[in-house]
Amino acid sequence: MLEKLQAAVSLGEKLGADFVEARFDDLTLRTLRRIKTKKDDTWKDIMLKSRTGTGIICYFDGTPGYSFTASEDLKDIEETVTRAYGMAKAASTAATLKLDFDRRPTVKSRSSDSLSVKIHPKTKGQDYKMDLINRMVDTAFDVGKEIENITGAYGELTGQKLFTNSEASIIKWEFLLVDMMCRVTSKASSGALVFGSERNAGSLGLEAYNRKGSTPEEVGKKAAMFAAEQIQAKPCPAGKFATLIDNELAGVLAHESFGHLSEADFVTMGASPLAGKIGNMLGTKHATIVDGGNPDIKKEGGMWLPFDDQGIRANMTTILDRGIFKHYLHNRGTAQQLEQEPTGNCRAVHFGFMPIPRMTNTYFKPGDLTEEEALEQLGTGIYAIQTSGGQVERDGSFLFKADRGYWVEHGEIQHPILEVSLSGNILELLQHIEGATRDIGLWGSYFGGCGKFGQYPLPAGIGGPKLLIQNVTFGGKA
Amino acid sequence: MEFDEIKDALLSEVDTGLKFANSLDKAAEFEIYLYYRSKSNVEIKQGVVEATDGIVAGTAVRATRDQKLSFASSSGISSNHVKRALQDAISSLKATSEKDTRFKGFCEPKPPGKEGKFAPEILELTTDDLVGYSLQLIGNMTKANGRLLAAVGCEKTWGGFAIGNSLGLQQASTSAHNACSAYAMAIDGEERRTGSEELVTRDKALDVSGIGEKAAEKALSLLGAKKLGQTTTLPTLWVPWAAASYILSSLQQATKGSTVVEGLSPLREKQGEKIAHPNFSLVDDGQNPLGIETEAIDAEGHPQGRTVIVKNGMLKSFIFDSYYGRIAGKASTGNCARSGGPFGSRLPYEDAPSIFSKNLEVAAGKQSEEELIASIDGQGLLITDIPIGIFHSSVETGEFSAVASSVFLIEDGEKKRPLEPVSIAGNFYKGLEQLLGVGNNIEITSLFVTTPSLLIDGISVTG
Repeated sequence: MLEKLQAAVSLGEKLGADFVEARFDDLTLRTLRRIKTKKDDTWKDIMLKSRTGTGIICYFDGTPGYSFTASEDLKDIEETVTRAYGMAKAASTAATLKLDFDRRPTVKSRSSDSLSVKIHPKTKGQDYKMDLINRMVDTAFDVGKEIENITGAYGELTGQKLFTNSEASIIKWEFLLVDMMCRVTSKASSGALVFGSERNAGSLGLEAYNRKGSTPEEVGKKAAMFAAEQIQAKPCPAGKFATLIDNELAGVLAHESFGHLSEADFVTMGASPLAGKIGNMLGTKHATIVDGGNPDIKKEGGMWLPFDDQGIRANMTTILDRGIFKHYLHNRGTAQQLEQEPTGNCRAVHFGFMPIPRMTNTYFKPGDLTEEEALEQLGTGIYAIQTSGGQVERDGSFLFKADRGYWVEHGEIQHPILEVSLSGNILELLQHIEGATRDIGLWGSYFGGCGKFGQYPLPAGIGGPKLLIQNVTFGGKA
Repeated sequence: MEFDEIKDALLSEVDTGLKFANSLDKAAEFEIYLYYRSKSNVEIKQGVVEATDGIVAGTAVRATRDQKLSFASSSGISSNHVKRALQDAISSLKATSEKDTRFKGFCEPKPPGKEGKFAPEILELTTDDLVGYSLQLIGNMTKANGRLLAAVGCEKTWGGFAIGNSLGLQQASTSAHNACSAYAMAIDGEERRTGSEELVTRDKALDVSGIGEKAAEKALSLLGAKKLGQTTTLPTLWVPWAAASYILSSLQQATKGSTVVEGLSPLREKQGEKIAHPNFSLVDDGQNPLGIETEAIDAEGHPQGRTVIVKNGMLKSFIFDSYYGRIAGKASTGNCARSGGPFGSRLPYEDAPSIFSKNLEVAAGKQSEEELIASIDGQGLLITDIPIGIFHSSVETGEFSAVASSVFLIEDGEKKRPLEPVSIAGNFYKGLEQLLGVGNNIEITSLFVTTPSLLIDGISVTG
């Protein structure tokens, strides 16, 4: 396939493109899902998906044109190059801001660029993975209360990504992502439905599901217990409160509210409130946010992305350094425009899309507090836990959902609270971060993912420490 | 492949594939779904242009034997892609003893419904046309105010899909549409306000006039916003775009047969009961000739239909595919989808059949938007765009908590000043019971929900 991609690059250059990038994905996705309700118990999904395709970008006069094909025939790939070049040429007539970039040295990948794990999911059959779900769902069923539904799912995304370009770079690496999740829905005495969920996901070998705290039984048990706890939970009061947000929620905060705004395409547009703010003090000394495709997976978890879809090697970019804004997240064109180095953030959901600036693993760096010290420092307020997602607007206003939590008084947990939204403006919120815990956890998800400009779901690594924040607006009931 | 060749070409591959499947495993039954769609779009974001043109093509196969059911997909629609998906589906089937005991077979063959309107001129649109329309959108947007930031996009898409199964079903459907969007950001010092407008049509080629202007006007009208300065409960008037997001997050989710059967819908035992104000009626019309989701068949080959979901506040029906319909003892309503809805995947053949509404339509009421505003005593909110986070609610609880960032204060029956973002919270289902009025200003939205403005009481607001 590499030869075909190299032929595509040559053809694009011959047509008149200034620069050509060609990539080929050969990925396999597996989804297994069991649903147990009061009446039924069934395997809803036993799915195996082969995702192969080529994406070509031709750059003409600082403007990209993109085309793609699922066909592996050279003739079809050549037609794809012609289409991409045609789009670039037509589009360049309308561009008033050109994002040219300089040539860089040739990049060659190494075998060590692919993550090595003890039990690669490819080495285990479907039954092995279905057994993981069975153990998880059966435990949840035994532990849960007033159960209406248990959904247990396993997902994996594996396979090779291949890339070449006009710099004769040759990049080949293996994608690896597994996800095991359980969601339990219970019925409260009022008839209202409540839920609890738990997952363990990232660039992991299946040995991760043998470790204490992450076994299928423990994942199922936690989901069921969280749902059972919600039966007794009270609505969260509305208003401004001090809060301790857990690792998952801190991850969504870093990703949704700050990460997106630091994506450089928003900045070159002038649409990000972070435009022109490099060097400014935006947060407290407890706020350090990084993004990178090469976290310490064994220690912290997360997602392994040694290269982006523009062939830039991953590195750890410090976006915010103890409150001071340092760096944007770039593709090659925005990096040159904003006079910074490329950061390895140019990513596409799949071959059907042009890569654009996206996050990899984005998270707050840990602090020095224990959970107990953080709760004590919180005093009275809300301990907000887990999330089903969030959203940010380009003016910095954000909203995200905590799935559950606790009301805390004088550092002591009082009672569970129902799902609740946290909202505000990120630039204000960063000034109210008062501490971070020393524990850190990162995840990468197969189920769900990040959405931007219609590109969804992009697997992204989120997580971090727990964060102590003053003055957070909670939705809830008036 | 040309537009008018799609059906024959896909059906021929389906037929060949089914014969091959039969040769692989005579005891199993199969369903083959082929998808082919051309997509071209141009986006201009503050002078940066990106253009994409490509063909999405893929195969999905389901195989069943002894109540075991497997799914496999492959990128591409050549015979080799179909064979690969078939072989993967069979190997998954062999590798398991686990059953889907509720599965009672693939969709029975039935005469197809009607395709929606088709405008051949959409196929004629060139990349240069899309670039030209995009420039026109920007021109119209910035003539209102040169300091606006603008992001626009224009798209044309055409294609089709075909389905065949071992029960003898072989059907196909084609469609084309074009769309444009305009997003404006007005900046004044540190204040940033946004406005957006979209248009999607299948019965005529793009006419972008008015779209850029409206987006600009929305953004500019929000400048000078002040804090609401209170935490209280107020009536809220949701303009059609915002109302569409409310319907999509609530009834769309809760009336899906899958949600009902799996015990996740709070409405699961409420068929025949009053769930909304008597002025509220909702249908899903998969046969509306102008509806973007209108096709002759749904994603498993069943004819698309029209389902009355809520009539004068009474819950009449849920929407089903054949799988969940059979479990519930109901007929399919032609709502099988593969990654359906406005946020569906670009590779729908990778998704298993599920249920999604096609074109939801809220019936028009009698009052104009001005009359609805005038009907509010004291204070209220006018929500003029989709609240942030409205789609992050869970169907089970119906509790929502979102941020309205395009919002105006209503006072003594009049629209007053713009407000800084306001947190709004409530319960979707209670909100429908607390409906105070339904507007007569029906709008088609790209959320595939057609609705007028809705005036909803009892929403908690903080800002």
